[in-house]
Amino acid sequence: MTDHARVPGPAYPITRPAAQVHFGVFFQGVNHTTIWSAPESGSQTDFASFERVIRVAERGLFDAFFLGEGLRLRESRGRLHDLDVVGRPDAITQLAALAAITTRIGLVATQNTTYNDPADLARRLQSLDVLSGGRAAWNVVTTDNAWTGANFRRGGYLDHADRYARAAAVLSTARRIWDAYPDGEDGEVARVRVPGAELRTPADVAIEPTTPRSPQGHPVIFQAGDSPVGRDFAATHADVIFSAHGSDLADALRFADDVRSRVAAAGRPQDDLKIFPGTSIIVGDTPDDAQEKARWVRYHQVTPATALSIVGNIWGEDLSGYDPDGPLPAHDPAVEELGGERGSATTGARTREIARQWRAIAEEKQLSIRELVIHTASERGFVGTPASVAEELVRWVRTGAVDGFNISPWIVPSGLDDIVDKVVPELQERGAYPAAYVGDTLRDHLGLRAPSTGRPAEARGTHAARLVRAL
Amino acid sequence: MTSPLPFFLGLDIDGAGSHPGAAAVTGLAGADLVAGARLARSVRQAENAGFTFATFADALLPTAPGAPSSARLESVTRAAFVSRTTTAIGLVPQVPTTYPEPFHVAAQLASLDIATTGRGGWLAAVTRTPETAHAYGRAAVDDLGREARDVVQVVRELWDSWEDDAVIRDVATGRYIDRDRVHHVDFEGESFSVKGPLITPRPTQGQLVVFAADGDVAPSAHDERLVDVAIVGGPDVASARGAARDAHERSPRAAVELEVVLDAGGRTGAERLAELAAATPADVRSPWGTGALRYVGDAAGLVGLLAELAAPGPDGTRDVDGVRVLPAVLDVDLPVLQRDVLPALRAARVTAAPRPDATLREALGLPRPANRYDARLSA
Repeated sequence: MTDHARVPGPAYPITRPAAQVHFGVFFQGVNHTTIWSAPESGSQTDFASFERVIRVAERGLFDAFFLGEGLRLRESRGRLHDLDVVGRPDAITQLAALAAITTRIGLVATQNTTYNDPADLARRLQSLDVLSGGRAAWNVVTTDNAWTGANFRRGGYLDHADRYARAAAVLSTARRIWDAYPDGEDGEVARVRVPGAELRTPADVAIEPTTPRSPQGHPVIFQAGDSPVGRDFAATHADVIFSAHGSDLADALRFADDVRSRVAAAGRPQDDLKIFPGTSIIVGDTPDDAQEKARWVRYHQVTPATALSIVGNIWGEDLSGYDPDGPLPAHDPAVEELGGERGSATTGARTREIARQWRAIAEEKQLSIRELVIHTASERGFVGTPASVAEELVRWVRTGAVDGFNISPWIVPSGLDDIVDKVVPELQERGAYPAAYVGDTLRDHLGLRAPSTGRPAEARGTHAARLVRAL
Repeated sequence: MTSPLPFFLGLDIDGAGSHPGAAAVTGLAGADLVAGARLARSVRQAENAGFTFATFADALLPTAPGAPSSARLESVTRAAFVSRTTTAIGLVPQVPTTYPEPFHVAAQLASLDIATTGRGGWLAAVTRTPETAHAYGRAAVDDLGREARDVVQVVRELWDSWEDDAVIRDVATGRYIDRDRVHHVDFEGESFSVKGPLITPRPTQGQLVVFAADGDVAPSAHDERLVDVAIVGGPDVASARGAARDAHERSPRAAVELEVVLDAGGRTGAERLAELAAATPADVRSPWGTGALRYVGDAAGLVGLLAELAAPGPDGTRDVDGVRVLPAVLDVDLPVLQRDVLPALRAARVTAAPRPDATLREALGLPRPANRYDARLSA
């Protein structure tokens, strides 16, 4: 892990000297990074845990509270994965409950375009947006596998290559639904018709919307895919890209260059897409305190059983009999491509290549299985004193690498307390964080333009009108 | 002898009211009609009035096609929004069984029940309009009762797919859950299958209270009671009581659906009803006037009608356990219900307000069900 206080990075130019740091919080609900074994680890199910986190985030002037989604519980080699926190609410339902007890913070629901119908999904998202006064967002995700489809009426109907085409069609249908209502009480509500071939439905789709517009026009669109086609989807359609590039500044700058060139190629102003990497923040009163806490966090995240499970998934076999404090298996993985771990982002990875890299690192640094997993599989994020972390976050934003950070607390529900109570004031002292919310909607918090719609320019601003304003 | 359960009172909260002309007579449309502040105020008023539960009527299609006065938000989202602004009233969204994904429905309702700490219910409704199939790009479902049976069945199985004590947090072995207490449901229906388990742990009540119009849900193939509260109607009290008596063959509770148009603001219910009818657009899609019992008149008459429905039959048991009131215009009829109807029923010990923090099951006298997958029960 990087100690930002002691290891100064290369001097990247400050391109945005007045840029402000923005924060979101990602209540993960499923992942080994959430520590469940400590005395202060709270319930992952009780509403009170969600309430505590979102209230702290809103006190800390965060832009958004973010919920993930996975439509089938993870399995390893045919059995449910039992080592990580698991079991989470439906995102839109939970965010609607949270909307009534908050006033400013944005509410981001991860929702799948493959296993939702746009008539239903767009309506639920707009319902949340209207009830929250324009604070909703949709993190657009796709699935193609029949394994997840086994929970749904249509099963695994979509080819891998079609998943983003379906996603684009669902999103454009949703935008038409969100635009269907006239602004005043007069006028007709538009009907939305989409050929079945676009949406991959058995018949054409004809929708009569019932949901009026919210104060922010459309829910904000997040997107998290990191593949080239995923990045292009974000560059074309999204307001925010939730990236995985949140630990290394050089890597984050490369990513920012890449996506901004894709945004320009899509005909949008480069600042139309905000970059929010997922990350974690660990602070201590001194650099040594912070390092000690980080070590405690890593060892609680990567338990002996978790270490053996992660290595076992690459080797494609049950390694629970191995010594987690001993060396990696001496043999190579039997299977070339990863398939046994279902519902995980690593499915399809090249196992022998990963095993070769891991063995090289373990031998060079003399690492046990558990130490190796901590070294390679941990989210690195930011570790240091509140002041040194604040300096680093400001540097990330002002070099143009990111617009903000989507923070995953490593413990629930107290995991944001240090950030809000200690890091936010340091940022405010540096003039790099607001002292109050300035707007009411999520679109306001993020500094986004009005949504691109098919409505008349004088009413809401067309894409062309937005371009003129941007120039 | 134990005293009978309080007669339960549900109230539908839907925009301007349950009458399809309600939006027109109140002048509410679009965002004003569906605003969160208005919704929270209405539900709080129903809770303060002492209603046992609120239902949230819903349909994917607008009541009057093309009209901004047909604005309506999705029902689970509405119910969830008021889950933390209330403490006692049950929250029962109407969610269709015909086209939505049962896996999503199960997770949404389980989440509502957890957010309300056990005040969630489900008004399971069949969708008869073929245009709804067009909104999904699918063929119209022909056997609505069979589809409803399969959807309610699989949703109930998914609610049981996590046992109550599945989360074990066993530090010694590193296991967060006991995987033997989380189950695939492997449901095979006539038109779909679902693998499970649910992504959401077991709801607070174990199973939410399932409401449905009597007869909408075909009987279970496994002899399971799929509907907890059957809803009936009828042209008059005698036939509604008869329908409720009959529904008790299938469901432990029976409720009468009751359309209400009260004397208010110096005008009679009959005058108001005539005005509402005149204001109703042509070709509306609305359940109003399609079979519910109806009361038009003053508050005292309604108190008498409800006491009559609550009265035991010749054998000493109740035919009717409660009502679901459909107020013609929410802002007009609810204040009269709150001021002149529910207090009189409480004074006569016919009904009682739900206790804060009680579950909806407790308010309806329904036990918390055991989990069908708990091996310790069958051992």
